[in-house]
Amino acid sequence: MKQKSLYLGWIKVVVFCFLIAACNQSENTLPNNKITVTPPPTKLQQDADGVSLDKSPMDMSYYPVDFSKQKMVKAIQEPLIARVIYSRPKKDNRLIFGDVVKYGSPWRLGANEATEIEFFTDVRINNETVKQGRYILYSIPYPDKWRIVLNNDLYTWGLKFDSTKDVHRFTVPIQKTNIPFERFTMEFEKDPQSAKTIHKMVMHIAWDSLYASLPISY
Amino acid sequence: MDMSYYPVNYPILKIQNKTTESIFARVMYSRPQKNGRKVMGELVEFGKVWRMGANEATEIELFKDASVGKNKIKKGKYTIYAIPENDKWTIIFNKETDTWGAFQYDQKKDLFRYDVKPEKNSEMAEAFTIMWEKSNDGGANLVFAWDDFKCTVPFLF
Repeated sequence: MKQKSLYLGWIKVVVFCFLIAACNQSENTLPNNKITVTPPPTKLQQDADGVSLDKSPMDMSYYPVDFSKQKMVKAIQEPLIARVIYSRPKKDNRLIFGDVVKYGSPWRLGANEATEIEFFTDVRINNETVKQGRYILYSIPYPDKWRIVLNNDLYTWGLKFDSTKDVHRFTVPIQKTNIPFERFTMEFEKDPQSAKTIHKMVMHIAWDSLYASLPISY
Repeated sequence: MDMSYYPVNYPILKIQNKTTESIFARVMYSRPQKNGRKVMGELVEFGKVWRMGANEATEIELFKDASVGKNKIKKGKYTIYAIPENDKWTIIFNKETDTWGAFQYDQKKDLFRYDVKPEKNSEMAEAFTIMWEKSNDGGANLVFAWDDFKCTVPFLF
């Protein structure tokens, strides 16, 4: 996700998706969260079955990028702003968008425990103030855009979302990745336009051949 | 990386509306595998600070004030390390969070240290494992297991 051409491409896709979105007004309400919950095996059951590691391992991303490694080498220049904890399913030759990830239905943005994002300061996203604190994150994907939802129902498993606890809903355009992402990936990146007065960053969400970038400032 | 909650499986119980107690704690850690290596005394060296995991430092978060032996521990986030010996493991609760491994471990930031006796584990743990268990005195045990070793830290809350 470190392509330098990313921002030019981003602008093009924003315009493109805006045009598409303008022609497609059909899915502006959240669907009901009536999902049948079939919990996956617990870690203990997995161990009993001789499977010691999860096939969708958990991972963590910080902003500033690699904050914990910077701390290790005493190179911290900016305070901790954000941390996301998520699990990383593999594509495994499956058709992801439109099949594994269903259009118009909640998408857990990961696997297992609900994906969690924590902001260590108030931030701005799409002209809304997102208060410092912890949220779970999920998406409602459409063929041309992803809705990204911050929700207050913490410490849940990502198979059931209580939309009455949604706090923020943002719509972001999607774009094609330069390389395929076998594993679902979330990463922060500093926006080259970041300045001392307004710090700017993005959170990239990528899987298969698509990604979206949520712009965050503080 | 992996995560373990107390109450055990709290997130799954929560979406099924089956929780009977409020959330107490979670631990987040990475899971190195034995991979045919000798773990205790070699891969994990005796007498040295061990990161108890891999990658990002192992994190424990308590959602309630608690105690471990005579030590009080306020709700919040801490990093866990250990100094393993043949006959005892010193478990370290440290206040420096969101760091990497034990490379910048600073004893001045310790909250407390707690000694436990390692036990032989009847089941082999190929991957380093941390999990919560309900304890007989109404608290919760944090169990660390790898290879054929395990040790248990008792929490009351």
